[in-house]
Amino acid sequence: MINENERWILSFYRTSEISGSLFFGRLAKSLKAGPIQHDMTRHYADEAMHAWYWTDCLDKLGVEPLDLGKAYQDQYLAAAGMPVNIMEILAITQVFERRVINQYAMHSRSEGIHELVKSTIDRIVEDEKWHIKWIREALKGMETEYGKDTIDDTVGRFLEADREVYEKTVREHEERVRELFPK
Amino acid sequence: MNNEAKVKQALGNSLKRKPEDLGDDTVLKDLVAESFALIETVINLQEDLSIRLVQDDLRDVKTVGDLVKVCARQL
Repeated sequence: MINENERWILSFYRTSEISGSLFFGRLAKSLKAGPIQHDMTRHYADEAMHAWYWTDCLDKLGVEPLDLGKAYQDQYLAAAGMPVNIMEILAITQVFERRVINQYAMHSRSEGIHELVKSTIDRIVEDEKWHIKWIREALKGMETEYGKDTIDDTVGRFLEADREVYEKTVREHEERVRELFPK
Repeated sequence: MNNEAKVKQALGNSLKRKPEDLGDDTVLKDLVAESFALIETVINLQEDLSIRLVQDDLRDVKTVGDLVKVCARQL
């Protein structure tokens, strides 16, 4: 029902959602009780559900997920350096979530997309909008502690890293990307 | 307990190791191989010790001793 390139990209999404879920789950466990712990726990649960949606979608399409090893997020740390406080983690997450929502939007608009894939993306994107909203508000709330300029600089630094990682990924998987998302 | 001992205690709690087993020369990447686990450890330290670190603070941190010194300075 889907070709190998489509199987690869859905597996890529699945791996990324699993990695995000594990990361936020661990953070949610580490943080002290409060609004950030509350929202991060929901974020963690959402990402776990997204991984399930992709697993189920692949299953219904009659294929098994590919084992892709490292997730997209792993490359962020190499490019941007390790975020070491909760503000830096939220800043890198904000940048990453914007990338995710743009990628899903592009895929959703692609010609010949399978109805099941489209409905899975649409379902996930609703959660992603909330992810961006809660993180934006949390970063706003941190301006007193960290300073608006520091937060803006941090987001800017991670945006640079995001561009670098995205371009590298597209280059590495050029043939697949060209077939899936022709200009 | 001095500040460095407090940090080592918190680090031991986070890594589920005895503080005395955390030698100052131990390379952090040998102790916490996975990057996300290292982030978790650093966040745990900040939560436990009520301190705040930024990326620049850890730029030159390679060993347990380096990390302990950086955190202890903030206590």
